[in-house]
Amino acid sequence: MSDIAQVADAGVTERSGAKATVRGGHGAPAAERGRTNKSVGFSSRPYWLYLIPGGLLFVVVILGPLVYNVYLSLTKWSGVGQPKFIGFDNYLKLLSDSVFWESFKNSVAMIIAMVVIPTLIGLLLASVLFDYLGKRFGGSSVSVLRAVFYLPQVLPVVVAGIVWGWILRPDGAFNAFLDAIGLQGFTRDWLGDPNTALPMVMLVMVWVQIGYPVVIFMSALQRVDPEIYEAAEIDGAGYWARFRAITIPQIKPETFVVALTCTIAALKVFGPIYALTRGGPENATNVPSYFAYFTFFKKLNVGYGAAIATVLTLIIVLVAVAIMRWQANSEKKEAA
Amino acid sequence: MKNSRLKAGMIAGLAALSLTLAACSGSSDTASTGSASEDGGSLKLWHYESANGAMGIAWDKAIEIFKTEHPGVTVDFERKAFEQIQQNGGMIISSDEGPDIMEYNKGNATAGLLASQGLLTDLSAEATARGWDTTLPSSLQTTAKYDERGVMGSGNWYGVPNYGEYVMVYYNKDVFAANGIEVPTTLDEFTAAMDTLVAAGTTPICMAGAEYPAGQLAYQLALTKADRSFVDDYQLYKNPVDFQADPLKYGAETFDQWVKKGYISQESASLKAEDMGTGFIGGKCAMIVSGSWWYGRFSEEITGFDWGTFLFPGTKLSLGSSGNLWVVPEASKNKELAYDFIDITMSPEVQELLGNSGGIPVAADPAKITDPKNQELIANFNKVTAADGLAFYPDWPVPGYYDVLVSGYQSLINQSKSPAEVLDQISGPYQEGVDAIQAG
Amino acid sequence: MSIPAVDRTGPTETVATTISAAQRRADERASRSRDRFHRGTARWVVLIAVAAAALLMLVPFILMLLNAFKSPADYSTNGPLSWPTEFYTKGLVTYWNQVNYPEKLWNSTVIAGTVAVAAVLISLLNAYAIGVGRVKGRLWIVALFLLGNMIPQEALVYPLYFFAKEVGLYNTKLVVIIIFTVIQSAFGTYLLASVLGTFPKALLEAAALDGATRWQILWKIVFPIVRPTLSVLLIFFFIWTWNEFFIPLVMLIDNATQTIPVALASLQGDRLMDAPTTNAGALISLIPAVIFFFIFQRTLTRGVTAGAVK
Repeated sequence: MSDIAQVADAGVTERSGAKATVRGGHGAPAAERGRTNKSVGFSSRPYWLYLIPGGLLFVVVILGPLVYNVYLSLTKWSGVGQPKFIGFDNYLKLLSDSVFWESFKNSVAMIIAMVVIPTLIGLLLASVLFDYLGKRFGGSSVSVLRAVFYLPQVLPVVVAGIVWGWILRPDGAFNAFLDAIGLQGFTRDWLGDPNTALPMVMLVMVWVQIGYPVVIFMSALQRVDPEIYEAAEIDGAGYWARFRAITIPQIKPETFVVALTCTIAALKVFGPIYALTRGGPENATNVPSYFAYFTFFKKLNVGYGAAIATVLTLIIVLVAVAIMRWQANSEKKEAA
Repeated sequence: MKNSRLKAGMIAGLAALSLTLAACSGSSDTASTGSASEDGGSLKLWHYESANGAMGIAWDKAIEIFKTEHPGVTVDFERKAFEQIQQNGGMIISSDEGPDIMEYNKGNATAGLLASQGLLTDLSAEATARGWDTTLPSSLQTTAKYDERGVMGSGNWYGVPNYGEYVMVYYNKDVFAANGIEVPTTLDEFTAAMDTLVAAGTTPICMAGAEYPAGQLAYQLALTKADRSFVDDYQLYKNPVDFQADPLKYGAETFDQWVKKGYISQESASLKAEDMGTGFIGGKCAMIVSGSWWYGRFSEEITGFDWGTFLFPGTKLSLGSSGNLWVVPEASKNKELAYDFIDITMSPEVQELLGNSGGIPVAADPAKITDPKNQELIANFNKVTAADGLAFYPDWPVPGYYDVLVSGYQSLINQSKSPAEVLDQISGPYQEGVDAIQAG
Repeated sequence: MSIPAVDRTGPTETVATTISAAQRRADERASRSRDRFHRGTARWVVLIAVAAAALLMLVPFILMLLNAFKSPADYSTNGPLSWPTEFYTKGLVTYWNQVNYPEKLWNSTVIAGTVAVAAVLISLLNAYAIGVGRVKGRLWIVALFLLGNMIPQEALVYPLYFFAKEVGLYNTKLVVIIIFTVIQSAFGTYLLASVLGTFPKALLEAAALDGATRWQILWKIVFPIVRPTLSVLLIFFFIWTWNEFFIPLVMLIDNATQTIPVALASLQGDRLMDAPTTNAGALISLIPAVIFFFIFQRTLTRGVTAGAVK
């Protein structure tokens, strides 16, 4: 978790006594920081009251529909008229539905394209933009560059699909470019060939996702004390050594945030698949969420779609909890 | 200073929130009480045709006429996105926020489904009283009537189409002339023409593997070996359909051969229908096999060459059907006005306007159509309907079948599966779907 | 006052009495370093490399621009990669009037703006209880709230439709605002709860000793310090909600209530689509979101995490 104390722990307190005035007070032992249920202030309203507005909305908008969705998964329904109760038939069918389980293979590809690669590139890019270029060229050029990298996130996904279609078509910009630089042998129907469709969709996803980690990491880097870097530089550490030893541990909390949210997004991804390939060719880019949508609205099999959505949600929850556990453990280790 | 700025910000935010609340409830109120105005009522009318298309133009005229015939009535017309109506039509009609009359897609999975759930008004009485059942050619009435299971062809009237659509071959006259090709009248002539084009280095047929065109071409090829009873079996579930037998087998195998011979580019697997259309407009190929819905756009956008159309040779059957239907939701608050409007759209004046704007009317006097190209388009359609040759579309029988077909025929374009494998792949979902429908 | 990292992108707030000795030393070092950093060609190589990467990111947008002002005939004949033969605005103007684009722009802004503010508020309240208040079972509570983010939207649509119909909110902007407030605040709660979890105890204790209630502590102590994080959330929520398509498509039926993504969908018919106008419409819809981003991105420099201490 993002943590001023971590700044303190990194040794800043030792270097400048003045900073310790406030932050030093936070040097309390980990046990006390993490465990206490004691709240600050005695005669005020209990804390859980603050959860009521959010909690109420949550029950109405999320929990209620989720329960209803589970109910629908036990029925057969076309979206109009009355649902017909059929028990667990949908789930039994789902267990043996190979298309569904295969689509999770593509989910792994999506995780690579939406979590692993953007996080790594984002980390590097943020560091280069902030630490290296920021100091040498000033803030405004860095801001502009950051805005450019973030721009794909602002574009509606349907339009992104149209434009990337223009680029990846057999007579599109990408093949034209390959021709121009003499690589004619490599031109092909990128989105039509089941072997290249998925990698191309992954490429588009990286393009879309990169801005998000860059923005978050750049803000995170803002709070790292430059004195640590300079001290390390004086001690003879090169750029990469500083990056690995200082940057990465310092912004660990944000890294977890990015990892968790991007993983959830990757498991849920729907829009770009719909816009680019509709799950094809030959199911090469089918993902669970698109399969659910298709079942809901094209096959008009709402009950089965609800079962798919329930299982998908369950899987996402399990993965998310695993990541959150990992994060909590890592912080405990850090604080210990 | 900062504190008061914060407070101001919060107050502004809350104010915006409450304004929104007020604004929102306002808009929904007008939406639901719009029909209750005292001086003659109102007609809430929705459709999703583009304003400069044939239907859009004709229906704008119909609205005008309606207004003159019903002076006290306000026509609340909204143009919708097709996607919204297609995906959420059921939800919309089941609420009281829906319209009094709207355009809806024909077919079992769309109009049929809503009809079977009692969401559409039964128009049979009006059809007889106002003569729609005589004005509308009988082969077009198939998609207007649905039975209690939602299967078209029999039962009550639930919708009224104003226009027709069918699939034909668009061809580049200049390319044909340059290669000495005449308009083919048999399938053999057609194949020979394409051989000539391949030899000359021109792509004969632009195709789109990622959307409907591939499945439609394969179906059209199957129709060259089929008859009316096959269409009844396939579309109306009269008898079981064997995918590994002709005509469907012939369709898939011929399609496969056409890819192998180069009539269809193997690079079209990922192309969308839009790409196919722009390819033809850009002169990249000699022909496309697709529907009358392109006609208006080609008329407007093709400037570089002369073009024409001909019916697919070798068969009386063509893909095609009536156009989309006017349906009156059961929850409609102004049914009489809705019926009047439908009547106006079937009137000679509106039908002729539709024909002269590049569309295919269902009940217009051919003599009143001025442009020769339009005449040809409409004449070909009438030829097909007169021979009871409308075979509908291959994805109609089962909900969600569209994507199955796309996936299957993409494999043929990619040459990654054999025709037998593809037929096997697409027969499963068909059978499942039909079984489910017949089980009720 | 921000952590003594050199913040050149925003106004430097100086609180005269509390510039620490460290800050002065940092300034000295900075001015010395400026000379060191502003020399050498290596920095230009890196800049050009990064700028080239940025340019690559922009290629799709350049294509959009190329096609947004092309006539349909030109687009169909010459393809999307060609330079337009004339500057064609008729399609865009027709579309603008047909869908009443200003109305859609307004709807989108109202919805995205209200959601951004409301979701930030809810997240703050939740995170206060979880992070500062340390209510029992907080890890599970955070996970539960995060559920709002984890459920695919298809699963929510039918139940929400029924619920909205029941309370008469179907086809209103309000129901869309409520839904997205909850969905976005899932992320906000998670992020803010982490941030507030490590809020300096000393400040809270000091305020409590002064007799402040928890409510007062929230607004007088916690809120000012986490404002940078809240600004980041504001930006994200606005942009995420701006482009939402699926739920508005289901919930907003009347043209008067619809947002821009839904209006853009009207350019795509059953079998035909109007690509140049879609691009033009999309470009225009980008502008407010980008402006919003630029206005608020200055606050991004102050950090996602609680940075300042007074």
